[in-house]
Amino acid sequence: MKKTDIGVCAVFYAVCAFFMYEALHLPEEAQIYPMCIIAALFALTSLQVFNMVKAAKREGVTSGLEDFKEFVPSQFFALLYMIIAYLALMYCVGFYISSLIFVAATLLFLKVKLWQIIIVELALLLLVYFAFTMFLGVQLPEGILFA
Amino acid sequence: MDATLALMGQGFINAIYPINLLAMAAGTTIGIVIGCLPGLSAAMGVALLLPMTFSMEASTGLIMLGAIYCGAIFGGSISAILIHTPGTPASAATAIEGYQMTLKGQAGKALGTACIASFFGGLLSCISLYFFAPMLGQLAMKFGQPEYFWLSIFGLTIIAGVSSKSMVKGLMSGALGLLISTIGMDPVEGVKRFMFGQDSLYEGINVTCALIGLFSMSQVLILAEAKIKERARATKFSDKMMLSSKELRTIAPTIGRSWIIGNLIGILPGAGASIACFMGYNTARQFSKNKELFGHGSYEGVAGSEAANNAVTGGSLIPMLTLGIPGESVTAVLMGGLIIKGLTPGADLFVGETAKMTYTFFAGFVLIQFFMLGIGLLGCRAFAQIGRLSDAILIPAVTVLCFVGSFAIHKNLFDVAIMLIFGVIGYLVRKFGLNNAAIVLALILGPIGEKGLRISLMLSEYEPSFLILFSTPICWLLIIMCVIGIASPVFMDRMNAKAKKAEKDALAAEAKVQDITE
Repeated sequence: MKKTDIGVCAVFYAVCAFFMYEALHLPEEAQIYPMCIIAALFALTSLQVFNMVKAAKREGVTSGLEDFKEFVPSQFFALLYMIIAYLALMYCVGFYISSLIFVAATLLFLKVKLWQIIIVELALLLLVYFAFTMFLGVQLPEGILFA
Repeated sequence: MDATLALMGQGFINAIYPINLLAMAAGTTIGIVIGCLPGLSAAMGVALLLPMTFSMEASTGLIMLGAIYCGAIFGGSISAILIHTPGTPASAATAIEGYQMTLKGQAGKALGTACIASFFGGLLSCISLYFFAPMLGQLAMKFGQPEYFWLSIFGLTIIAGVSSKSMVKGLMSGALGLLISTIGMDPVEGVKRFMFGQDSLYEGINVTCALIGLFSMSQVLILAEAKIKERARATKFSDKMMLSSKELRTIAPTIGRSWIIGNLIGILPGAGASIACFMGYNTARQFSKNKELFGHGSYEGVAGSEAANNAVTGGSLIPMLTLGIPGESVTAVLMGGLIIKGLTPGADLFVGETAKMTYTFFAGFVLIQFFMLGIGLLGCRAFAQIGRLSDAILIPAVTVLCFVGSFAIHKNLFDVAIMLIFGVIGYLVRKFGLNNAAIVLALILGPIGEKGLRISLMLSEYEPSFLILFSTPICWLLIIMCVIGIASPVFMDRMNAKAKKAEKDALAAEAKVQDITE
């Protein structure tokens, strides 16, 4: 049994509790179907807890962190924040400018050579322009600053 | 019968329209590129490019997605052969013999064998697609709402099959997906459910956004978590790719056997190309007259593995198109594409105007195999170089495409935010041994099952009303299939373990023989 599975089950119980609380605010007829699913999820999570206890007795307990042995927190979180910032930036300045900044920032952060950055920027933005803007006619976000 | 033959002929005429041929060429090329990039999967590629097909006709869009699917399954063999890193799990067995051939200076021959075997595996799988799909489609015509309810339950039991390690975790993922599928307007009562004040959730969670998030964005986060490593340089090769007629005759029976194996595995929900390649490889070794070559670069081994994994493609489309049961993640994504086009898998696909679209797709699927052969043989050298593309470049490139793809659906940034949330969920789901394919299946099947259940209960003349769910022989057949659906993962696990054990034993025996002769 992995210790991390305890956290997984806790999250699933929390999801059940949250959706049950929300479902109680629905009219009675509309409650039945979601409540059945919540009950099924609760039962399956409890079955998983039972299996975990059995496995712990049989095989012992491991931390579960072995699945994260190659995890580089500084790189992962920096990239995750960049992706979230990309969404915010796209809302403000539109798709093309935000993508230009995001791709350059990410590639610089990952220590990609400058000539490769220029090629990737050009290739990616031209691909999006021709495939989505020209071919599919998708109006990509212009941003609130330029709208 | 005549009508079916006419539809088949019409399908081929429609499939050779220039736009469809262009979709085949583009889809196959994109698929091979995605396949030969280790870390990117066929499901990810299909999900990522799904929005590109929105403005296309349904048949053209499906042909393009089918071409990406077939291309990606074949593409995985290029990096497996040249850099000993399977581009997709479906090529894991190809790496064993393929890389040994590369070390012996026969990389061209290995790639040629992979190309030819993939072509025949895929082409032969179309036979079963043509033969079984309309038959099952006829059966689906007899379905009413209670049957649709049980069908969705059967689909959900398959979740246990597609779950990687733990059946319970697979079912938990499915139940979570079902709960998420209830977000939006209640289809019967018309009240808002779990919308958290967001009117954009009125129609529920957009399945395409969820698909892109769960398969593509989560892959970006998987790539982002580990230190970026330089990929091995692909071996340059100068030997001939085409096989001699004697070599072609040698691999013909292997391809035939692998076709049957791959096709059956494709039809079985829960199994996939990654199992088929090992089974095809082991069968090739069992029947080979040159067993001593296995483990040291046998082109028969490459053919066995590649024909089997490509034979899965046609087979896996059968339950998805006829019953609406996607047996694995790629077909779940393809089914999402079908639903977005306003098409319901099942009997409807084989009647009236929709049948023309279906048969055009089938014919397109046959032609895709020819494109795969041509593009594969001509472009192997170039694809080998693309396969070296660093994760550092893939991370921002795939992110940008995820953002554009999810924005293109309704042209609003709310969908992009939903995609991002599902990306994080998908990442956590994969890290903690849950199953994102199960969530997707539940998101697709949830509304079908809910509608089937609630309409059945409303129309029921039985007392108590739920007895309508057990009122027909088809309902009972589906109930039995649900039980089999739960039991099949255990059977699959045993089959997989048996195949791996046989492979280990054979390698050990070969090593022993070699020791003795030395």
